[in-house]
Amino acid sequence: MKSYQYLIDYFENSPPIIQVVWVVCCVFLVSIVSLVLYLKFLRSKLRKDEKIVAKFQKEYESDLISYLYAGNEEEAISAEQQIIIDKLKICAADEFKRRIVVSTLLRLRNEISGEMAEAIQKLYFQSGLITYAFKKFKSNKWYVVAKGIRELTQLQVKEAHDKVMIFVNHPKKEIRKEVQLYLVTLFHFEGLKFLDLLETPLSEWDQIQLLEVLQRFDEQEIPDINPWLKSTNDSVVAFTLKLAKIYNQFEAKDTLLELLAHPQKKIRVEAIQVLCHLQVFEAKDVLKNKFGELSLEEQIAFFKLLENIFETGDEPFLLAHVNHENFEIKVSALKVLKILNFEKFKSLKENSAMPEYVKIVEFIEHN
Amino acid sequence: MNTSTVQIIILIIHILFFIYASFAIASYVVLAIISAVETKEYMKKNSFVNYKEILSSTISPSISIIAPAYNESLNIIENVRSLLSSHYVNYDVIIVNDGSKDDSLEKLIVAYDLVKVDFLINQQIPTKPIRAGVFKSTNPAFEKLTVVDKENGGKADALNMGLNISNHQYVACIDVDCLLLENALQKMIKPFLEVTDKTVIATGGVIRIANSCIIKDGKLLDVNFPKKWIEKAQILEYLRAFLLGRMAWSRLNGLLVISGAFGLFNKKIAIEVGGYDTNTVGEDMEIIVRMRRYMEEKKEKYKVAYIPDPLCWTEAPDNYKIFISQRNRWTRGTIETLRKHRKIAFNKNYKSLGMLSYPYWLFFERLAPVIEVIGIIYFVILMALNEVRWDYAFAFIILAYLFTVLFSIVAIFSEELTFHQYKKKGTGFKLILISALEPFVLHPFILYAAIRGNMDYYFNKKKKWGEMTRKGMAKA
Amino acid sequence: MSDAKKIVLAEDNSTLSLLLKFRLEKEGYKLLIAVDGKEAIELIEQHDPELILTDIMMPFISGLEVISHVRNKLAKQTPIIVFSAAGQEEMVLKAFNLGANDFMGKPFSPNELVIRVKRLLR
Repeated sequence: MKSYQYLIDYFENSPPIIQVVWVVCCVFLVSIVSLVLYLKFLRSKLRKDEKIVAKFQKEYESDLISYLYAGNEEEAISAEQQIIIDKLKICAADEFKRRIVVSTLLRLRNEISGEMAEAIQKLYFQSGLITYAFKKFKSNKWYVVAKGIRELTQLQVKEAHDKVMIFVNHPKKEIRKEVQLYLVTLFHFEGLKFLDLLETPLSEWDQIQLLEVLQRFDEQEIPDINPWLKSTNDSVVAFTLKLAKIYNQFEAKDTLLELLAHPQKKIRVEAIQVLCHLQVFEAKDVLKNKFGELSLEEQIAFFKLLENIFETGDEPFLLAHVNHENFEIKVSALKVLKILNFEKFKSLKENSAMPEYVKIVEFIEHN
Repeated sequence: MNTSTVQIIILIIHILFFIYASFAIASYVVLAIISAVETKEYMKKNSFVNYKEILSSTISPSISIIAPAYNESLNIIENVRSLLSSHYVNYDVIIVNDGSKDDSLEKLIVAYDLVKVDFLINQQIPTKPIRAGVFKSTNPAFEKLTVVDKENGGKADALNMGLNISNHQYVACIDVDCLLLENALQKMIKPFLEVTDKTVIATGGVIRIANSCIIKDGKLLDVNFPKKWIEKAQILEYLRAFLLGRMAWSRLNGLLVISGAFGLFNKKIAIEVGGYDTNTVGEDMEIIVRMRRYMEEKKEKYKVAYIPDPLCWTEAPDNYKIFISQRNRWTRGTIETLRKHRKIAFNKNYKSLGMLSYPYWLFFERLAPVIEVIGIIYFVILMALNEVRWDYAFAFIILAYLFTVLFSIVAIFSEELTFHQYKKKGTGFKLILISALEPFVLHPFILYAAIRGNMDYYFNKKKKWGEMTRKGMAKA
Repeated sequence: MSDAKKIVLAEDNSTLSLLLKFRLEKEGYKLLIAVDGKEAIELIEQHDPELILTDIMMPFISGLEVISHVRNKLAKQTPIIVFSAAGQEEMVLKAFNLGANDFMGKPFSPNELVIRVKRLLR
């Protein structure tokens, strides 16, 4: 008790700055102790949650499987199925349990097709889970909305189309992406119509994901891509160029040629690459005539095009560039020349005094 | 000099120390807050990403993993195997054997059925010449592997060789002994592809400490908390640096360093700036500063991104000798980089790079240990003169200590609420314990190493240059 | 039921495992479930099944390694069906090179799987 009194006296007689420091120290100490206690609680909660989730998941998993095998020919819903539906309806009211139920449905839905997949979707409707997904659309937290859309995509709920379309130009890009994935996953090429409305950029990451989804479907019937190639949204043009390449859209040749004069360099380069892939000979003359005005990237892309669609008439043009200062152009020109006129190609080696250059020529000669 | 002038000088010294300490503490608090905001946002966004879709895509951009190796014979076969097991589709692995004196190359040739191939190198960055040649595997299972054997030139030179050899759009520069998780590449490539309004020049990854973790066949099977104090303390230090510090700097787009052990670069820009600098021991920091500077000078919008997920695991030094030499090198690397680019310091033309990132690094990374030592010396002198105001000293020391512990605990929370890697029961207590002890078991050594680094930099040029060629690929 | 044909199923999606277990046990097979490649190899070595179903991408040890283990280490010709997700064509090719007998792309219909299993076990 005496030392306690001593501390108080000491504190009261200290200069103000020391008093402040001691107060802050106490605040720190209290925070540390409470954080340590909370950490203990948090860690055991995380561990416990993991176990609870695993337990519920196991339970719902077997419910789901029994539901799937409890159907019969006579009734739309068998008695046994009805029991499971009622149970899940109660679970769905609880947010924590609902999340586990939905994730269990999804885990299976994503892996199987056919009758059983349809049955899972039916269960999703019957147990009222779908209404909760729609409720998420009204949230003002972007990630809740996005989760809702994703859920509908994965369960292939086509009926939500109009409700989802409202978000097509949403300011948050994560929501837009979920909308796009919804449209393309469920409506395939038809779903791409959102490109007509899109005002915001479509990132490279989004483009790859959309193309990946499209490639899962067998249908090769793709809509007219010309309007998208002319879009004022550059990222839509870039995306459509990728479509043109993957689906060999030779019909769009003329629009593609126009893109060689697009204001964006990136688009011009990609257009050259697509034309190269489609082996459009007309592109060659257009580009040859303005070769000097092209940026280096375009020039390199053009030479890659030449490697693909060269003719004997290209020889003088190639000869003019076998000494180009850019390594890739030089190599491309030499490669093609080797095929067109081997004698000429060999003479380059003999006439060159630079060992570096001879090395390149020799490499191309042997490979 | 009369007593009043001395008193004024002493007062000024006190005030300067006080201001410095206040700024340091304030910066830590601000960084912690920013990182909390950024982490929350990141976790929400990340919960949506379907990495499975991008990884299998053949239209995803191409990446080369460049891993320099110097006398790594012991583990090179397993390490390469780990690099080859990424789930990303469009990538290759370039192992640059930097003049190893051991049998690394022979081992690789046997294990992966390598044969020498004719290879035309576009020598965009000058490097030491090829030694035995370029090798590829005859076994289709290892078609992604290229091994280059070159004359020794140090890590930077080896990475430059990799940049010359790669014909992909992006390069992942990593230490060969790092273990990459299978989805590491798709997570790291994401920022390059999703930012539409600026150019992403590089993405930095997190380094996690693999000591005591169970690793088999290049895969991380189980995460354990190591036994030695030095290892535990480094785990805590890394959590603080990566989860609080770098996360906040990435939000401010002010990252000056991405760890040399794991970073992904836009190859075109890395080559345009001339690749890695072979004249510094801090090539990982230097190249980022140079790339940033280049983008600022070109007046192009750019970003250095950062991915906080635990994707890259590596062994940290488990004894003080190696630890001190590692930190000594880091210190010299920082000094060299800051000196080389001193033009950007407080230069408005470089915007936040010159006005915020650089000054922060100068004062709170580069000068912190120096100032700390001056403070200690000053304190000792006062003690000798019996001039110490023990009530002040005691209160402030306690304050500083509690703040450090509190900051560490915040870092632990950040980990628990995000990646929660140390799940085992009892580890929570160990983490708290090490937070309390770290100022005694690790910090003095960091300080010592930093001072040694300064001494070596200024007074021991021979060591500085002598070590260059031998520095090899020491950890992290 | 002791002469029921044994099938080892290696799949990290427990819900799918359970579904297939029910479905195939209805057809009179005995199912042994592994959640990763490591467990799969242990089960195969212990029980010497008549058929192996394995996912390609699993934690720790992939389906490819399981196939390679069965064909090379154990030198067994047990029929193997692999499951693959969309876009893993490269992996499927590797699986066939290693000696897989058939593959099913996810999502697949469980009924179709039953038909293929029956064909291989006839």
